Amino acid sequence: MTDTWPYLDVHQSRTHEPTPYEYKLAATLEEVFTREGHELTDVVRGLNARQVHAADGSPWTEESFRAEMNRLGA
Amino acid sequence: MTLSSSATADHIYATGLRNQWHAVVPSHFVAPGAMRKVTALGEQWLLFRRSDGALSMLADRCPHRGAPLSLGKHLGDRVACWYHGVEVEPDGTVSSVPGLPGCSLEGKKLVTSLPVREVAGAILAYFGDEEHPEPAELTLPEPLTDPDVDAFLCYAEWDAPWRYAVENLLDPMHGAFLHHDSHTMFDGDTTAKFRIRETARGYFFEKTDQRGVNFDWVELCRTGVDWVDLSIPYPPSAGPGGAFGIVGMVCPVDVRRTGVFFWRYRRVQDWQRASWRFLYRTLIEQRHWDVLEQDRVMLEAMPADADQRENLYQHDLGVVRLRRLYRAAAEAQSTAGA
Repeated sequence: MTDTWPYLDVHQSRTHEPTPYEYKLAATLEEVFTREGHELTDVVRGLNARQVHAADGSPWTEESFRAEMNRLGA
Repeated sequence: MTLSSSATADHIYATGLRNQWHAVVPSHFVAPGAMRKVTALGEQWLLFRRSDGALSMLADRCPHRGAPLSLGKHLGDRVACWYHGVEVEPDGTVSSVPGLPGCSLEGKKLVTSLPVREVAGAILAYFGDEEHPEPAELTLPEPLTDPDVDAFLCYAEWDAPWRYAVENLLDPMHGAFLHHDSHTMFDGDTTAKFRIRETARGYFFEKTDQRGVNFDWVELCRTGVDWVDLSIPYPPSAGPGGAFGIVGMVCPVDVRRTGVFFWRYRRVQDWQRASWRFLYRTLIEQRHWDVLEQDRVMLEAMPADADQRENLYQHDLGVVRLRRLYRAAAEAQSTAGA
């Protein structure tokens, strides 16, 4: 942290620089929200249709997606 | 005492109203066991935090010869002035004069200590003048206390007068122009009619013919601390949860510098909350920042006499109302010439 004026820090909410996986997931999630809808079923279907899978490579389920969002958005 | 009621109304108007709370800096600026020099309302202060987290805010001025306490040493539960070692407790009491034990300064509360509270990641302090040392009642913005609302604080420091930063928020129409190229304020009509709607705690300044499209309304709230509330729609890419809101506060640093506090909040729960938080950190925060930078560039470029040579129109009623209110408060707080 700096003591010098002015404090102009773009990223104040991050705990780390997002990984390539996180960037890819976030960008795809935005696309899914835009094109498929805002329901959980839409999101899971949209991510799987785009082959953007969980970190372990498995297709998303509602349960695994919730768990991953809770981890990444805590 | 550092804040004096004998200050002129012009000085108070330029450096911030007294006898109310103001946000000062984010909480994380002062780590446990650390201290930090800050400027607020044109005066020098020292934020001092014990290792257990307890925070205090002292005038940055040794009661002995006036040296800055911020150059001194953090002794865990006290600060020692570097110049002659005079020790001051977090409440402003001189606990020890090492060079002259038993000196009459010892045991006296000689340093101004401001009441502080930490709210949603920010340090708020009560800036009373010598006639109003007891803190004003403070009602916090509901979006910052509602458990169903989630918020991220963005803090930034601008080389612009504090009042310009508040006036910018009481001027919703700039959203359709200055922020036209942004992720949230690209839409809506570029003409509008506005009205003022008085409330028990301030007033709304709102468009009469458009809502929920751009930056269409703002509420000024005076609840012991001055803040604004407003709502701006997100594009569908931000996911479920609807519009985001902003609670805004400013810290008048000095006549030409301002700390701005923007809590971006959203009424979201469960996986919707988590996905917004994930997207915010990864992608959206940068876009919010880009919008804020447009405001900073504009306000920092405003000439010093900008508000002396204007030609205002109907959209500026919210600003006019604000100035009148603040000017009257500054006059009332100044006993200079009384």
